[in-house]
Amino acid sequence: MRSLPATKPARRALAGQDEPAATAPLAEEPVLEEVLVRIEPKLKRILFRHRIPAQDADDLLQETMLILVSKAGSIRNPEAWILATLTNRCIIYWRRQRSRLWDQVDTAILELLADAEVPAQEREELRFDLEALLSELPERCRSLLSLRYGLGCSAAETAERMGYCKSSIRKVTHRCLAALTQRLLGAGFQANES
Amino acid sequence: MYQESRKMGDHPSSGLLFDFLFGRSTRHRNRQVVRHLLDGCAVCAAAVDGVPSLPRAQTFDYAAAFGRVERAVEERHHDFAVERAEAAERLREIAVQPFYRQWIMVTESAHFRTWGFCVLLLDACREWGFQDPPRALHTARLGLEIADRLDRERYGAARVNDLRARAWATLANAERILNDFRAAEKSFGRAERLLKEGTGDPLEAAFYLLLKASLCGHQQRFSEAFRLLDRVQRTARRCGDLHLCGKALITRGFLAGMAHEPELSLQLLREGLGLVDPGAEPRLVVAACHNLILGLTESGRHQEARELLEDSRPLYQRLGDSMNLIRLTWIEGKIALGCAELGRAEALLLEARSELTERGLAYDAALLCLDLARLYARQGRGAEMRRLAEEILPIFQAREIGREAVSALIVFQKAAAMETVTLGIVQELSDSLQESRAVPGLRFRESL
Repeated sequence: MRSLPATKPARRALAGQDEPAATAPLAEEPVLEEVLVRIEPKLKRILFRHRIPAQDADDLLQETMLILVSKAGSIRNPEAWILATLTNRCIIYWRRQRSRLWDQVDTAILELLADAEVPAQEREELRFDLEALLSELPERCRSLLSLRYGLGCSAAETAERMGYCKSSIRKVTHRCLAALTQRLLGAGFQANES
Repeated sequence: MYQESRKMGDHPSSGLLFDFLFGRSTRHRNRQVVRHLLDGCAVCAAAVDGVPSLPRAQTFDYAAAFGRVERAVEERHHDFAVERAEAAERLREIAVQPFYRQWIMVTESAHFRTWGFCVLLLDACREWGFQDPPRALHTARLGLEIADRLDRERYGAARVNDLRARAWATLANAERILNDFRAAEKSFGRAERLLKEGTGDPLEAAFYLLLKASLCGHQQRFSEAFRLLDRVQRTARRCGDLHLCGKALITRGFLAGMAHEPELSLQLLREGLGLVDPGAEPRLVVAACHNLILGLTESGRHQEARELLEDSRPLYQRLGDSMNLIRLTWIEGKIALGCAELGRAEALLLEARSELTERGLAYDAALLCLDLARLYARQGRGAEMRRLAEEILPIFQAREIGREAVSALIVFQKAAAMETVTLGIVQELSDSLQESRAVPGLRFRESL
């Protein structure tokens, strides 16, 4: 059985005349496995509540426990900390999944539009479907994505045409891609974070 | 390819949809799914809308994950324990070297590029912040250099980003203690960006917020500082960390004192002291007690201040660092002055001034002289006052102080020359200096 990483080593750091005093260790450390067993049902509830697929739960759990190990006993209430950190990690997981999905949708659309082998009629249909989808978006997103997909403008060109500064265009584009993806997929995927 | 995508049937399989949503599909398949969804397929949109009901999502059975986690943690636990044991040895090794040599050792030798050593260095910065700020700054830079060079594969990129954020926040705090607020702002900005790419560890965020609140307070941005401290307290409650809650209250108490809310400050410091674990951070406890004593003295509650000082004296002495002991003498002098024990007050203040001067802390010595000026004004010792003014005025004038403080200085200078300085004039100068960029003086300004 492994105890949680124990005390901080004495901080007789970088010796000098007045050495910093040692910081006292935390009180009796609980055993890591015991903590894990005790809170396993709660952790499972967190993972389920956030709809984390089992194959990704591994990473989230492992990362959380490794942070705990690396923090070398500086955590006063490991149980509460693990629950809070795992919750944060689940939220970050969905944030990253969503962001990746937006990029994925964007890439797929750009690739579909750029495919030279597509017959003219089907290309027309694609443009029609895309325009129909864009028309459901707020004005700002419609204009930005029309420049991106319709005229093939780069981020810098879009920023210039729409009057955004270059540093903020990435954020704005991301927001528009989020809106587009939400229209495309419905709200369910977005809501999982909460 | 495009035609192929249109031929894939009316609906992609639920498995393909699942893989698409979770980024496990190929680009070719992604295009198929997106094209299909662009057709406005309500059935697939509805299926995606309810991700949990997808057949593949039935794998919400986490039992196996828990088994694997225990094994993985077991392995790393040993590695970290070895690293920590070695880190203490490395610290001793580096400690005897001059700064430039420490830098070379850290940048050129892989032995020092470990998580354990980096954490130890950053902890040391916090300790040095209390008594040797330039050394804290140097150590923070060293820690940052190591954090930047840590092996991301070994430690995990997100965890390394957490540690880099901690290093930047530690550096920012050292810069803040040295009054370089602009540099501190920049460093905090770097820390914040790294935290966003970190693990989401709430205590790392709280560490950053606590130090940032301190900077905001010193920049007189009190409402922002208090908002940040609210977040720290929320995190502390969520993580069941009473000590952190106490630290946040103590910081709030310090800042309330700077914001001229003495009663609130005293109340918060008392509350905070009731929550922190004195064994874990004795310096923090001394700093909080010290500011409490100072607050009581400034509120005219000299007897209470004296009693608390007597209770706290063993703590000061146990820590034994020289700056703390000088502060102790200074505040004892102040209390004696408040209790009209003028002879004792003068002896104590002169002793503290000589210690400060010896250490080259001219500015702190000049601030202490304002207490001596009060004493001389009370006793009508015009000649001593004139000498004192000649000594301290150039020191204040050399600092970046506000317009009001400059005016107060001129009034003081003229009155001293004519040997007509009154208690009111000294008080006005002292107040305006306090207002001017929150001159900390006897107050603890160090990191928590």
